[in-house]
Amino acid sequence: MSETRKIVRQALVIGALGVLLGAALNYPLVRRFARGEFRETFLSQAEYPGIRLITLREAEDLWAAGEVVIFDARGAGPYGEGHVPRARNLPATESKLKFPPNILEIPRERTLVVYCEGGDCQSSLALAKRLHDEGFRDIRVMTGGWEEWIKAGLPVEAGDAEK
Amino acid sequence: MLKNKTLLVVFRLVLGGLFVYAGVVKVLDPLGFAQDIRNYRLVGQSLSFIAAIVLPWLEILAGVALAAGVWKRASALIISGLLVFFILLTLVTIARGLDVECGCFGALSRKSGFGVILEDLGMLFMGLCLLFAPERRD
Repeated sequence: MSETRKIVRQALVIGALGVLLGAALNYPLVRRFARGEFRETFLSQAEYPGIRLITLREAEDLWAAGEVVIFDARGAGPYGEGHVPRARNLPATESKLKFPPNILEIPRERTLVVYCEGGDCQSSLALAKRLHDEGFRDIRVMTGGWEEWIKAGLPVEAGDAEK
Repeated sequence: MLKNKTLLVVFRLVLGGLFVYAGVVKVLDPLGFAQDIRNYRLVGQSLSFIAAIVLPWLEILAGVALAAGVWKRASALIISGLLVFFILLTLVTIARGLDVECGCFGALSRKSGFGVILEDLGMLFMGLCLLFAPERRD
């Protein structure tokens, strides 16, 4: 057998072993996946009980009732061009840093709504996790994001509103 | 190609060790790693999940084999292949203007960017040296 073929064969064996080991040692997770979990998010309900995914309709109702604090996880640029009225800008890329005091003084039982660009954007989820770590216990992630909000023709506010 | 035996052994230990470390931190938090993959917005939930289950073990097995000197060239082939993939992935991510954590070394991860590519290139150099090192008959 030629040297190259031998090397490729050995590499394939290592690859197959990797698949077997991964599947075997993560068996509980693989079973949960097979049962349909993790298809929308990798959030573990046990770890983040205070985070829920919501639809545009639910977000609109919450927004209209006016009781919630809304966070826009996109960058300052897109936020300035247009955002959900009353939403505060809190880019998820900056959320690794400490939250500003005006965020930290929000009562932890308040309902928060977070969103990002839409499509398969992930930053609203990252922001939701950070807020959860901070002690907030009712965080709703509007998964459709800005894209759905705009498409539905809902009100828009522009400008660099208060952060 | 490099023929210095000592240097090649150092390369094997360093590169193998780095891959074992990178694999272990991911094994400890499979769902976190799945989210890291998802953040690249290249593959969907299911593929991210499968990759998060398999990839860390591939890194560990290839890293252990390389460091231990078992199937050296096969493990160097896998590691080099992974590195080429990581470099392309990072380039695509930069080109798309996405702001994501690289997800390379667990908590030590940083923003996916040119720094990550440089590191990967350094590791790829070691991997290719090992892959194409002259076979010793001893």
